[in-house]
Amino acid sequence: MIIAHEFEYFKPSSIDEAIKLLNKYGAKARILSGGTDLVVRIKDGFETPDAVIDIKGLDELKVLDFKDNKLIVGTLTTFNELIDSEVVKEKFPLLWESAKSVASMGIRNRATMVGNICSAVPSLDSGPALLLYEATVVVKGKDGERRIPIEEWFLGPRKTALKEGELVEYIEIPLAQKKHAGCYVKLGRYNGEDLAQVGVGVLVLSGNEYRVAFCAVGPKPTRAKKIESLLNGKELSDSLIEEAKKLVEEEISPITDIRATKEYRMHMAKVMLDRALKAAVERLNGKGPDYGTKLI
Amino acid sequence: MSEYKFIGKPINRIDEKDKVTGAAKYVDDINFGPNLLYAEIVESPYAHAKILSIDTSEAEKVPGVVKVVTGKDFPYKFGLYMKDRYIFAQDRVRFIGEQVAAVIARDPKTAKKAAKLVKVEYEPLPAVFDPLEAIKEDAPIIHPELASYPHVPWYYPHGGTNIAHWRKVRKGDVEKGFAEADFILEDTYRIPRYAHCCMETHIAVGFVDYNGRLTIWASSQSPHTQRHLIAEALRPLGFTEQNIREIVPYVGGGFGGKAGVTMEIIAAALATTVKGHPVKVRWRRDQEFYNTYMRQQVITKLKVGVKKDGRITALERTDYWDAGPYVEYGANVVNAATLSATGPYNIPNIKMDGLCIYTNFPAAGPYRGFGYSEIMFSIESHMTRIAKALGMSPREFRKINGIKEGDPLAYGAPMNENGLIECIDKVADAIKLEEKEESKDPKKAIGKGIAALWKAPAMPPNVTCSAFLKFNEDGSINILLSGMEIGQGLLTVMAQIAAEILSVPPEKIRVELPDTDRNPYHWQTVASHSTWLLGNAVKRAALDAREKIFDVVHRALNYEKDHLYLEDEKVKCTTDPDFELPLKDFVINGIMMEDGTYRGQAIVGSGSIMVEFASALQDPETSQGGHPNVHYTVGAGGVVLEIDKETGRVHILKLAEAIDVGKALNPETLKGQLIGGAVQGIATALYEDMRIDENGKILNPNFTDYKIPTSLDIPDEFIPIFVEVPQHDGPFGARGMAEHVMIPVAPAIANAVEDAVGVRVKAMPITAEKIALALLHGKKEVDDFFMAPTKKKEA
Amino acid sequence: MGQSSYRRIKMEKKTITFILNGEKRTIEVEPNDILLEVLRTKLGITAPKYGCGRGDCGTCTVLLDGKSVRSCLILAVEVDGHEITTLEGLSKDKLTPLQESFIEHNSFQCGFCAPGMIMTATELLKKNPHPTEEEVKEAISGNLCRCTGYVSIIEAILDASKKY
Repeated sequence: MIIAHEFEYFKPSSIDEAIKLLNKYGAKARILSGGTDLVVRIKDGFETPDAVIDIKGLDELKVLDFKDNKLIVGTLTTFNELIDSEVVKEKFPLLWESAKSVASMGIRNRATMVGNICSAVPSLDSGPALLLYEATVVVKGKDGERRIPIEEWFLGPRKTALKEGELVEYIEIPLAQKKHAGCYVKLGRYNGEDLAQVGVGVLVLSGNEYRVAFCAVGPKPTRAKKIESLLNGKELSDSLIEEAKKLVEEEISPITDIRATKEYRMHMAKVMLDRALKAAVERLNGKGPDYGTKLI
Repeated sequence: MSEYKFIGKPINRIDEKDKVTGAAKYVDDINFGPNLLYAEIVESPYAHAKILSIDTSEAEKVPGVVKVVTGKDFPYKFGLYMKDRYIFAQDRVRFIGEQVAAVIARDPKTAKKAAKLVKVEYEPLPAVFDPLEAIKEDAPIIHPELASYPHVPWYYPHGGTNIAHWRKVRKGDVEKGFAEADFILEDTYRIPRYAHCCMETHIAVGFVDYNGRLTIWASSQSPHTQRHLIAEALRPLGFTEQNIREIVPYVGGGFGGKAGVTMEIIAAALATTVKGHPVKVRWRRDQEFYNTYMRQQVITKLKVGVKKDGRITALERTDYWDAGPYVEYGANVVNAATLSATGPYNIPNIKMDGLCIYTNFPAAGPYRGFGYSEIMFSIESHMTRIAKALGMSPREFRKINGIKEGDPLAYGAPMNENGLIECIDKVADAIKLEEKEESKDPKKAIGKGIAALWKAPAMPPNVTCSAFLKFNEDGSINILLSGMEIGQGLLTVMAQIAAEILSVPPEKIRVELPDTDRNPYHWQTVASHSTWLLGNAVKRAALDAREKIFDVVHRALNYEKDHLYLEDEKVKCTTDPDFELPLKDFVINGIMMEDGTYRGQAIVGSGSIMVEFASALQDPETSQGGHPNVHYTVGAGGVVLEIDKETGRVHILKLAEAIDVGKALNPETLKGQLIGGAVQGIATALYEDMRIDENGKILNPNFTDYKIPTSLDIPDEFIPIFVEVPQHDGPFGARGMAEHVMIPVAPAIANAVEDAVGVRVKAMPITAEKIALALLHGKKEVDDFFMAPTKKKEA
Repeated sequence: MGQSSYRRIKMEKKTITFILNGEKRTIEVEPNDILLEVLRTKLGITAPKYGCGRGDCGTCTVLLDGKSVRSCLILAVEVDGHEITTLEGLSKDKLTPLQESFIEHNSFQCGFCAPGMIMTATELLKKNPHPTEEEVKEAISGNLCRCTGYVSIIEAILDASKKY
């Protein structure tokens, strides 16, 4: 399949150069990182940029570092790099488990987590984990740096708080100070690579603190604040989980499409929440299934 | 000789090294030189519309565009069994994606850009998609001239309607049979469309040289048949088989989708407009979905009556097939499947109607199984349901009714030798069918199900194939034939047959891929008939060569031909143990006599075979008479699966399949086919889910949303079982099995799902969603069908 | 180079240099050229195949700086200064133990998925010389095969891993 649409290609060697180009081409500029989303969309005709700006020459964006209790995930960090990182696996297991669920090896060698949140597809796998870890997206434009809390990042399907002329530099993920464990459960049509039809992320912190987030069941990934309020401060029990499952209906708004009906998504969101909560609590207590185990 | 040296052995595939090193070339890998032109197709956005005008002037002006072609340049029809299909749409389009025009340019980007500039004016017509709607009085007629289309004598089109073919089978008296029954089960099953999803998309390159000779390179299962159909279609331009050549290198999967002719004719036609330039037409993956063939949709109404002791007394079924707007091949699927729509059972009273119905969905046609997967889903689901109702094991019920050698088939002819009962027993034993298993996980349930299978090659009665064989100086052999290597291991098995007869090991035998100028005729590589028929042709060619070898030795050295035999690439003699003459010494060079003269010839052999006992002459109202099917291959499949009752997700623990292959010529390639075919069957049951919208557009023409299994989706354990009840006229007793391995899987899964969780899914696919929601709502039967919205919408 | 009459951009050709199967190559490409098509039409490479054009099937898989990637999703310009290995590169001299294992196991049928599958398995065994069966299945899950049902492929990879 070939691309007939014509565009100019740039590979800036500094962030400032990249920002200048982004400002010059405005809405007709697209950033090229892994390309696993952008190239398909150009082929399908959904993107018709005038300029494609390849940022893979920007070494400052090739960061994956843990310091001052924060994980810094640079823009160019691929999903496989996250998976291969000992510190991510050990200290941010929910992020690790989410990364493992993405696509397949050949895609994960190119696709980046920043690219994932910039695409802001409602089914994005990194959405729940970043919401639950309460990450911050650091962007740079011609007026300097901006810090955008992840809660404010997603505005709708394929819409983010990133402004024209801006570029994401890194995502900053604080390490929760309390002991914690998590679980990401993803619904696909089979075991092979698939876009999530429902994604449920759970983070459980010692002292009965719960954080819950969903993706693929609304226009953007969201924290389930009502469920969190219900659960916070309480020991998990079967009856509590049943109540939480009822609240799912107030937290999400799944649609019917060719991948799944809204009825099945709603049903599965409840089942997955149940299993994610139980697994996260077990993991917090040192038991539970290994991270990366498929629970559905 | 009781023990074979090469037959029955797991001989290494002779094409494996080509494929593992990257040496294997497919059509798109061939270098066609700097004159290669590229074509981009202009396609219809409507499922049914009149073409009012086509303006190509803007497209023609684009620099780099060499030619723009429309339907008026090629007002010719073609078709394998009926001439109802066009090279380019003429006065109207009949499905979304149908080719209306083509732009030929020096590079693909230019072709793509210019194609967008072709302006076509349409007048939309009412379209029809549901086959039940299409046969109603007021349905829009898709082929108003149906009555005038030439067709093979065993097709019965109903002019003036959308019924392209109606196969009727009547035997005995079904009313009486149902009256005698103690129990009757009647129900409706729905099977959606499925796509072949070969990894290599369709591709064809056409080239007309300055002398007017057309050469086609295509990824095809049928070089000779394609050449013939293209010759027929382009005869008005002066083409005949003599001035058309088709060359087919390795093919990246066929599964029936590359049989007959679909897009290849476009490349051939375009080539005639740009002499001296090869024109490449390579299908994108989405075009592969909507403009090749698909497996047909069928709605089956099935009624079966049985006595308490398990004997079936009557079977009545009507199958409504949605075959798309061009059924030149697809109508034979309906034909073949209907003749055998009883399943492998001996039933005295039968009434079967198979209607091949025109609709405005994309064209459908041959797909692995040729209609049998579709008709067997209903039969085999029904069999287990009836067995359950009678309180009988599904195994016993099938055995009681299983068809034996000599029993009459639905159309009267006798059934061939077969190991059906053995297959059913072996599969049921392999999965311990009658033993209930409990899951260790309280959220899950384990279920078991079996299904029988059968299929006969669906071919015209005069199918023929042939092979040439020649020796080289080093004692190696080339076999030239026109059977296609589409992955099934054809080249290797043919080499083994020649190897066994000529004592030359398969590693020293090359089997050459088809070139219609050099390789002799073979009808098509379809129907799982090549092992049987082409194998016989190769055997004859090898015997012919052997006869010449013995003749040379006899004339030169006076040994009696009856005393000669071949072993380890040498001629040996039973009456003279010291005599051994290496083949390579004389197969080219001859044998020198004492006086310095020579006896010999370059050893070549040829073999050809036509089936001479098949006949399609049948009563049009009852299908009695004739012998349309050469023989059946039978078998059975069984699964043990585990279902998560909350999520509906199915995990297959064990999949067992037994096939009566007559003689397992190569157990390794057979195992590969069995596992591959079984996984394809699983895919249709659990994952593949075609969605078409109310305008006739496929919504998921890609692997993102049309899911074929990955390595993570296969069963935990496969149990392949090969039964050998020799086929009396097969090479070394062999018969085909390549399509058959898919057939029992979907119904076995449906039966196992019911066994596990008490839910009977009657509309495929059997998705986790359908199971989960049925369990949630306490539904025992599911017939939710999502392929297309059922309400008709005006275009 | 293309001049669109309705748009003000001018797409300029770029000269790129990269190592292809151990050899330095320099060619001119347009920004919208796809790596897979450039390899196949301008550089004489035929092993990586077109299967879907969307990164879903894996038949286009090549190694980019040793990592398996979908060449149908990469613009040719992006590989300037990098290294590409295709199946041709593995087959230049002796076959790898992995390739020998595939041949021994008769792993492939139609063979169309083989080049992509072999590149993915090559990366796997380099990264993880002794994978479990689950790890093998996961690693090749992005390479679709319609013919084999994967069993013979998985067995060959596990068998080959014993030799590393």
